[in-house]
Amino acid sequence: MRILVVEDEPDLLRGLTRSLREEGYAVDTAADGEDGLCKAETVNYDAVVLDVMLPRLDGWEILRRLRATKKTPVLLLTARDRSADRVRGLDLGADDYLVKPFDLPELLARLRALIRRSASATRSVIELGDVRIDLAARTISRNGTAIVLTAREYVLVEYLALHRGEVVTRTTLYEHLFDDTDDTLSNLLDVHVSNVRKKLGHAFIATRRGHGYCIEE
Amino acid sequence: MRIPKSIRWRLQLWYGALLVAVLSGFGFTAFHFARARQLRRIDEGLQKRVSVLVDALRVARPAWRTDVRPRPIFTPTQAELFDDEAGHYFVIWMQGPEPILSSLVAPAGVPKPGSGDALPRMRGDFRETFLFAAPVNCVLVGRRISAEQADLRTLAALLVTVGSAVLAAGFFGGWWFVTRALRPIAEISATAEKIAAGDLSQRIGTAETDSELGQLAAVLNSTFTRLETAFAQQARFTSDAAHELRTPVAVMLTQTQSALARERTATDYRETLESCQRATQRMRRLIESLLELARFDAGQEPLRRVACDLAKIAAECIELIRPLVTARGLTMHTALSPAPSYGDAERLAQVVTNLLANAVAYNRTDGEIRVTTELRGGIATLTVANTGPGISAENLPHIFERFHRADLARTGSAGHSGLGLAIAEAIVHAHGGTIAVVSEEEKGATFTVRLG
Repeated sequence: MRILVVEDEPDLLRGLTRSLREEGYAVDTAADGEDGLCKAETVNYDAVVLDVMLPRLDGWEILRRLRATKKTPVLLLTARDRSADRVRGLDLGADDYLVKPFDLPELLARLRALIRRSASATRSVIELGDVRIDLAARTISRNGTAIVLTAREYVLVEYLALHRGEVVTRTTLYEHLFDDTDDTLSNLLDVHVSNVRKKLGHAFIATRRGHGYCIEE
Repeated sequence: MRIPKSIRWRLQLWYGALLVAVLSGFGFTAFHFARARQLRRIDEGLQKRVSVLVDALRVARPAWRTDVRPRPIFTPTQAELFDDEAGHYFVIWMQGPEPILSSLVAPAGVPKPGSGDALPRMRGDFRETFLFAAPVNCVLVGRRISAEQADLRTLAALLVTVGSAVLAAGFFGGWWFVTRALRPIAEISATAEKIAAGDLSQRIGTAETDSELGQLAAVLNSTFTRLETAFAQQARFTSDAAHELRTPVAVMLTQTQSALARERTATDYRETLESCQRATQRMRRLIESLLELARFDAGQEPLRRVACDLAKIAAECIELIRPLVTARGLTMHTALSPAPSYGDAERLAQVVTNLLANAVAYNRTDGEIRVTTELRGGIATLTVANTGPGISAENLPHIFERFHRADLARTGSAGHSGLGLAIAEAIVHAHGGTIAVVSEEEKGATFTVRLG
């Protein structure tokens, strides 16, 4: 899951990024509106956390221009909490709205819900054979036994599970699992897939040579 | 009796009482005049008949003929005087109390008047006059005046009826008039009530702008407008202040919650604490600025005014900010002529520092800052000009407003709370001076402070 955070307050940006990375998300950042829009338009993010008050280009404008080309889920962050502002944000195509100051766990929960909804999974539990994925708790169990996965491994399983039945290319996986700070030329993806197979059974992730990976329904 | 407090009732009472006084004054005068005229006419008739009667008696019995029983002898004209519709009668007495002669229409038992009785006399429905004259002892002429008295009663009733009608008409007319005159007041009070209930957008709609109440309404309306503006400004200021405090709180909340989510290294904790410190410092600066403005607003900020020189103050401020100017690659030009003034040097330094910090913050790379001080027409004047992007015509009128920022997102990360110019303006105003800005886009901005 790759997320873009557009926020001009450096300390807030740093705190958000740290927490999101620890949750296993790949996180890109932008400190002003122009950079934010540019990134949001070129990369297929799973979600964008967008501050409204930004230098150069404000959040409303980014949202308006982004919606012309992309359906990326957007979570608006703002210090203004008048209902008129909320209505404006939602009307411009924001998927959710959070008022500063917010609780970090709430932000994370809302992001999970956004990503789930955009993959049209309204339930927060996915069951695939004997494997059970709880999207809210971010836990995976097999035959009722909890399986311990690293954050990155979990996100890999979650992404494939949300797109189960589809073949997901390596490029797409790289795009969604790793951010600008990761070295995409490494064999990190193969290592993660191999680790997941060890924990959940070799057949859980199928390899389509030359195409990518897939979790069968 | 309790006097009603309402203007309508007091007005009604006043002119009601006035009307009653005027009407009763006129009524009584008219009645008395009519009555006196009637009585005079009656008395003249009686007097005339007394003379006629005495003459007629003297004709019949000259003074020397004491043997003849006195009996009036009337000419035909005189006789008609005692045979008229008014029913005049006469009674004649000699020495004894019993009359010796009375006319046919005379009522029975007319008492002989005493010599001291007042003339003429009223006896029930009768009015009588008399004369003690020879050849008899006493002659009396009288008549019944009940018809005239009835006429007077009719007149009195008429006067009372007409008076009451006029009073009633006056009262209702007055009621209508007062209601009409007071209608704008009712409107004013209804509007004021709505405003008191919190709806500041209400205005008094009155068409009669020429009347005194119309003028009052106009004055009140303009007051309400100013009140609404001040209220809206205050509300915006409060909401802006809350908004400004939200971001640092969000930083602290996010940083601490993120740090506490798991075990961290000492470096991580240090970084978290540092960002919390920055957020707290920002809140402290904001709170101090807010308090300072609040004290200026309340007129509680004391100024220690002494003789000082704006040029010296500016020079000190320039030295303090020079490292920042050099670091940003800007060039500082100064032309500081003595500009003696009478003010709080510390506060004025705050104004100068603020303008300088602004000139640095809103400047282009390798730009310039020009500071001048001089006496312009006897007024200590300071100008600070920069070569920045300038201020758009749209933003220019709002530049001194609290929390106004041309770029809405330029929040406090660089230390600008958005209150600096508002505080500078408050300080200059407290000194009785003015602060103004001239700017065009892409042509920099020039701030001018004049200390009256």
